[in-house]
Amino acid sequence: MSNYRWRESPDTIARLVNADKIQTLSSQQVLLKPNEACALIVDGRVGDILTETLLKSMAGGFSRWLGDKIGVTANDRRLLFAMTGPMDYWIPFEGQIADGEAVKGFANLRLRMNLEDVPKLLNYFANNSPMLTREGLISIIATEVRARVVTPCLATCSSAADLRSAMFLERFEMTAESEMRNLLSNLGFTMLKAFPITNPTDMEKVAEHRAKVQAQMDGNQVNVEAQLAHYSQTEALTLARIEVETNVARAKARGQVTVELESELKELRAQEAKWESEINYERSKMEIRVDEADAKTKRAMDMFAEVQKKKADRIANQQNFQQQRMESQNDFQQKMMEMAAENGALTPEVMQEMLRQQTAQKAVDVSGAEVNTSTKVCSCGTVLQPTWKACPNCGNPIV
Amino acid sequence: MVGTPVDVIPYIRGVQLVLIGYNGYTKGSRIENDKIVREEITRATSRVRSHMENIFDIQFREGNIDLARAAKRCIEECDYLIEDVSKAASGMEHAFLSGQHSPSNKDLKKLIKHDHEVIEMITKAVNIANSSEHSMGTEDGNSKQLVMQTTQMITSCRGFFGARMNILSGLKSKKKRT
Repeated sequence: MSNYRWRESPDTIARLVNADKIQTLSSQQVLLKPNEACALIVDGRVGDILTETLLKSMAGGFSRWLGDKIGVTANDRRLLFAMTGPMDYWIPFEGQIADGEAVKGFANLRLRMNLEDVPKLLNYFANNSPMLTREGLISIIATEVRARVVTPCLATCSSAADLRSAMFLERFEMTAESEMRNLLSNLGFTMLKAFPITNPTDMEKVAEHRAKVQAQMDGNQVNVEAQLAHYSQTEALTLARIEVETNVARAKARGQVTVELESELKELRAQEAKWESEINYERSKMEIRVDEADAKTKRAMDMFAEVQKKKADRIANQQNFQQQRMESQNDFQQKMMEMAAENGALTPEVMQEMLRQQTAQKAVDVSGAEVNTSTKVCSCGTVLQPTWKACPNCGNPIV
Repeated sequence: MVGTPVDVIPYIRGVQLVLIGYNGYTKGSRIENDKIVREEITRATSRVRSHMENIFDIQFREGNIDLARAAKRCIEECDYLIEDVSKAASGMEHAFLSGQHSPSNKDLKKLIKHDHEVIEMITKAVNIANSSEHSMGTEDGNSKQLVMQTTQMITSCRGFFGARMNILSGLKSKKKRT
């Protein structure tokens, strides 16, 4: 038993094998993987469609040869192998968009074959070689894809920018799904996905070049700005360094001056303290002198007050004396008047004489009082006694 | 290998109404049963896809891009499910030599129940897809809503089918029976 390989290249999609043509000594078997299928066509009828199995004794071998010879096997046995998994097909196209710009690219179709659709490939093999490859399938569907899908979709694009929009991709896929179903269904394929890939158009290349030039210019501009910024930074740095150095020098000078000033200030403070102590000393001396003077003044004032008191006492004594004298005189005159009245000697002349003498006596009293009250006052405000020759307060002589 | 559990016989009968030849993974037919189930899911999904293709074609040609887009989305979801199902693991036949343990009653019950439910689900999706196309033709009801409901059902089915992998992967390694 030997293994039969129906597929030698990854581009092979399907193959129709005439089992009767396989004349080998050992019988052949084929292993069908999950993405492979085999439809048995026996005597022109589609039989089972197998997958995921080991198809034993599919062709060749002595027993099958013998059966053919004695006529106990089928007259015609064909095996249709096919890939059922999804496969991508790239279909080149050229077209124009609405503004006349030429567009080149590829339409990608992702196709899959259902298990029950495998026999439909007979439609293809009826008019083509018994092996279907990617190129073969593309050659069949390309024209229809261009005519039914690519051209109508490109016609709806007003500019190259529309080619890049999601809307265009969706429309392309939907159009492919709808328009290609007939052909693909006839061949047994199911479309899973479709999308276009377009090369850059001439105008896009111009735009790209423009963008590159612009980017270059912008880059240069950025470099210039960076250089200017660098110079500016250098300038600022230099200025800052100079300023810092100046500030340092200034601070040093200021510090030196401060030190000198502080030194001078210290000396001045010392001098000031010295002067202060001298002033205090002088002030103390002066205060002592003032205290002495105050003490003298106080003593003088006390003495003066004592003299004043004695004077006041004397005046009071004098006034008492005069009062007593006047009272005794009044009593005497009254007694004299009463005695004169009793003796009948009270005449107007006597009365007149008595009044005259009394008036004279009053005058004498008043003049005595005036003499007593005419006291002198010194320029310092001290009241001077008539007997004083100088002011006891200020020491000025009394004229 | 153990016999078919009695309590899953109703499920087997249910699946057999749709799939002739399904016998609930009896001895020696495990791969065949698995294949039958997967083919049925693929076939039903293709039916959904056909309905959606019709809706898509009509709506796209009429310029109703919204509904066409929804239908296209559903078609894509069907493609994903078909691809998932066709490339799904089916387990190994030679359990003794391959290091797999033989399926227990519990495993079989789970698998058969899962088959029944996933077929029910995909059948429901087919019915909704049919209704959506019908409502589009009669113009009664919300076609877009039904299309989106179909998409949702297919997506759920895709996720639910993935759970089958978990059951099968449980058979891959021999576990110490307690």
